[in-house]
Amino acid sequence: MRARPARLAIRIGAMSAKEVLHIVRDPRTLVLAFVMPVVMLLLFGYGVSFDLDHLPLAVADADRTPASRALVDAFTRAGEFDLVERIAPEDAEDLFRRGRAFAALVVRPGYGRDLARGGRAEAALLVDGADSASASQVLQKADAIARAESLRRAAAAGALAAPPVEVRTWTRYNPEGRSAVFMVPGLTVYLMALGAVLLTALTVAGEWERGSMEQLFASPVGRIDIILGKLLPYLGLGLVQLLLVVAVGATAFDVPVRGSLPLLFAVGLAFLAGMLGQGLLISVVTKNQLVATQAGTLSSLLPSLLLSGMLFPIENMPRALQVLSRIIPARYFVHALRGILLKGSGAAELWPDLLALAIFAVGILAVATARFQRRIA
Amino acid sequence: MSTAIRAVELTRRFGDFTAVNRVSFEVEEGEVFGYLGANGAGKSTTIRMLCGLLAPSSGEATVAGHDVGAHPASVKSSIGYMSQKFSLYLDLPVGENLEFFGGAYGLSGRELRARIGEVLDRLELRGLERSPTGALPGGLRQRVALAGAILHRPRVVFLDEPTAGVDPVARRHFWRLIREMSGEGTTVFVTTHYLDEAEYCRRIGLMADGRLVALDTPAALKRAWVPEQVLVAHGRGLLGAAAALAGRPGVVAVEPFGAGLHLRVAPGRWEPAAVEAVLREAGAAEVAVETGEATLEDVFLAASGAAPAPEEGP
Repeated sequence: MRARPARLAIRIGAMSAKEVLHIVRDPRTLVLAFVMPVVMLLLFGYGVSFDLDHLPLAVADADRTPASRALVDAFTRAGEFDLVERIAPEDAEDLFRRGRAFAALVVRPGYGRDLARGGRAEAALLVDGADSASASQVLQKADAIARAESLRRAAAAGALAAPPVEVRTWTRYNPEGRSAVFMVPGLTVYLMALGAVLLTALTVAGEWERGSMEQLFASPVGRIDIILGKLLPYLGLGLVQLLLVVAVGATAFDVPVRGSLPLLFAVGLAFLAGMLGQGLLISVVTKNQLVATQAGTLSSLLPSLLLSGMLFPIENMPRALQVLSRIIPARYFVHALRGILLKGSGAAELWPDLLALAIFAVGILAVATARFQRRIA
Repeated sequence: MSTAIRAVELTRRFGDFTAVNRVSFEVEEGEVFGYLGANGAGKSTTIRMLCGLLAPSSGEATVAGHDVGAHPASVKSSIGYMSQKFSLYLDLPVGENLEFFGGAYGLSGRELRARIGEVLDRLELRGLERSPTGALPGGLRQRVALAGAILHRPRVVFLDEPTAGVDPVARRHFWRLIREMSGEGTTVFVTTHYLDEAEYCRRIGLMADGRLVALDTPAALKRAWVPEQVLVAHGRGLLGAAAALAGRPGVVAVEPFGAGLHLRVAPGRWEPAAVEAVLREAGAAEVAVETGEATLEDVFLAASGAAPAPEEGP
């Protein structure tokens, strides 16, 4: 008779080896684990950009002076706006309705004359406000362009027209304000959560559905063997996924990796353990692949998308949602990932995130294990 | 001979429903013990309790010397179990299935490979190691499942409906292997609803509504439960004519059996010729009646009908 720990290791090893064989034999798992994240990352990184440029701009220049032409030129030169049509001021709304332009610059007669007199000259920018997020970005850009133009004129006139107070903003960590840099850490969290919860829920529910769980229970394989044997391969799979997504982010979108890789993996491991526990709990409760898929998708996708701070800043949420987000592991992982990748934060700054993730993982694995036992009878 | 399985007043209730009701029996080492009964009679529930999968509500059982209720974990390493629903991972080839089941019982390395070779030879599965399990016909698949269940050389093997849905030739082959195993000292506890297979068992327990209503060798069961003379009638139009016999004095039972009729009559009261005459008169044609042997089906029908109503749970 072999010593007990050796037999335990053999049983867990057998469970894990079998799981790896299932994964290797089922191309769907590999696609779900590796192809889908890369495709989604590229799709989000390239296709879904919050950066606005080349916005269609209509121009109604009723002044037709060198000054007004310079203003129009200032708007179109930087590539932020493209001049699509010259119109009469009253046609702007019609253009918006037909979707031909996103903004219209209206310069009234007398703009050049007012400037020459050294007084205030006004031009109007009409913006299609149907998409409020884009509209506010347009306003910011227009503001910056207009300010730059007035400074240029003041300097050209040799006047001491510099504003007495000047606010200079300096954006750290993502100076160009690129969406990809903001999105990749969030997407990583989202994809890992979805993958880990779904794959575990499927594999464990599959054993119930097939009836093989009963066969396992009739052998010396205990529930700890089953849980560890099932989770270890997916833990490995998840870490490879993490590496893959960070690598794709770094090569395709120049997302930096400023912090330490070991810390990245430690945080990833804690997050994955929690997600695997969540998948395990779902499958132990549902014992059915179809229901487990739905519950797994909903319970991982919605919180990590909406409450993690990946898309919507937690600070802007209603108080109740802010409190709710505290029990969402994705929130801590998004924060830690942005810290490690973009800011180079270390363990000194991120230990609360790591601790929160570890608490969630231990808690949910304990609940799933307890629940596992009760259902065997 | 020592006892491999002992059940004493073994009972399992699910809410108000008593699935297994105070069942007691003993199975000797090396015996092939058949457990018969209709669907829902309590066969699988009994097996699950004996395998340590389900705790008994009351009563007790020992399997291979281990108390099932107190030490279900130690029972598990000394038994092999083939469940009714699942046998194998169909996405993995035969060899990988066996490697997994070996590992589940703590076998590894050279020992595992040696055992796999052993069961492949024993169950005549050599050369199938790389075959995808899902593509195997039912009979072969069940043999692979049996191989997985005996890799660790269990002293007691539980087979829950191992031949369900398997063709007759493969079933016969499977039973030859079962008898070989028992010849080498392995105790086999097997459920089936094929009554012809039950003849291969040394002893049979008959379950009806959660109770063990009969337990003995096939021959003794026939003597005990079918004291009447059995007559077998062949011919055409027998089903319509059967009513003419039912209820006549001395006729205990008239049951359709295959294409013919099985009659149980009080000994000495009916000659085959007399039965033939009655059937002809009632419209049957080409009738031939001869004396027959009682089958386990006769036993099954007699015993099931005589089963006392299940007791209410306390």
